[in-house]
Amino acid sequence: MKIKEGFLVREVAGAHIVVATGARMKEFSGIIKLNETGVFLWERMTKETDVQTLTNALTAEYDVGVEQAQKDVENFTETLKKADIIE
Amino acid sequence: MFTIEIAGIAIGIQNRFRYIRELCEEYMANEKTPLFTVCATDEDVKEEIKISAPGVPRAYAEATCIHRLIARRLYEFDAFLLHSAVISCDGEGYAFAAKSGVGKSTHISLWMKNFGDRVFVVNGDKPIIRLTENGFYVYGTPWRGKEGYGKNTSCPLKALCFVERGEQNSICGIGADEALVGLFPQVYLPEDAVASSATLELIDKFVKKTKFYRLKCNMQDEAALVAYKGMN
Repeated sequence: MKIKEGFLVREVAGAHIVVATGARMKEFSGIIKLNETGVFLWERMTKETDVQTLTNALTAEYDVGVEQAQKDVENFTETLKKADIIE
Repeated sequence: MFTIEIAGIAIGIQNRFRYIRELCEEYMANEKTPLFTVCATDEDVKEEIKISAPGVPRAYAEATCIHRLIARRLYEFDAFLLHSAVISCDGEGYAFAAKSGVGKSTHISLWMKNFGDRVFVVNGDKPIIRLTENGFYVYGTPWRGKEGYGKNTSCPLKALCFVERGEQNSICGIGADEALVGLFPQVYLPEDAVASSATLELIDKFVKKTKFYRLKCNMQDEAALVAYKGMN
């Protein structure tokens, strides 16, 4: 899975905000606010990846157990999938 | 073909229909050299009619297209379009933002009723907000919304107030976090990634420099007084 083309991330007022640009705006007209973990995962989803790879990256960086990390990754990717942001 | 000046920016307009010339009457500046020129093509106009309201006159659609073409370039001048009703009271700008239909126009008419000459409408629908060396200013534009409230004028922006309906009138200051959520749906974000990115940078500055409030109000006169007091 990876994030579809046409989204840009910018820091606005101290928060990381994702907006759709160009043709993508027709499908997605909201904004997404990412927390620190969200930003970490988002940056690694701009190219093709999977839950396992993302979980490994999280546990390599943060002092968190594999089970928790995997749950967090799955929650995050599920949210993105529901919003039709990943392919 | 004519030139207007809005928000201190001279813009050339290449039009086919008379309607837009009349709309821009108060903003004519033919003595100035345009910083850029916009023109709505036949395809633009046809597309506009298709997406906004089939049956809308082509003259009107041309004006809407031109508005959008201008909006797309505002970032080049540290400016953006904000869907809000802005009034000037004692020379200071108060912007009211809300989802359509909540009652921005009703609320500002209460200000006009209760503060008389001290208040006038800068723009009732989509004013331009521009970062100047003296902070963010609000500007009137020829596009005034269905009530047609607005003047060719500008003033410093004192505060942005999000309006909600309520039984009682109350107002409170809100932080950047909350303001961002209410603000985004009302900002015109250009499609182009460069323009979008620059606009977001502007919004970042805007959120850091502006006072935000949330107003719960009914349609009584008191609503305007509570709002004024809360922001002063």
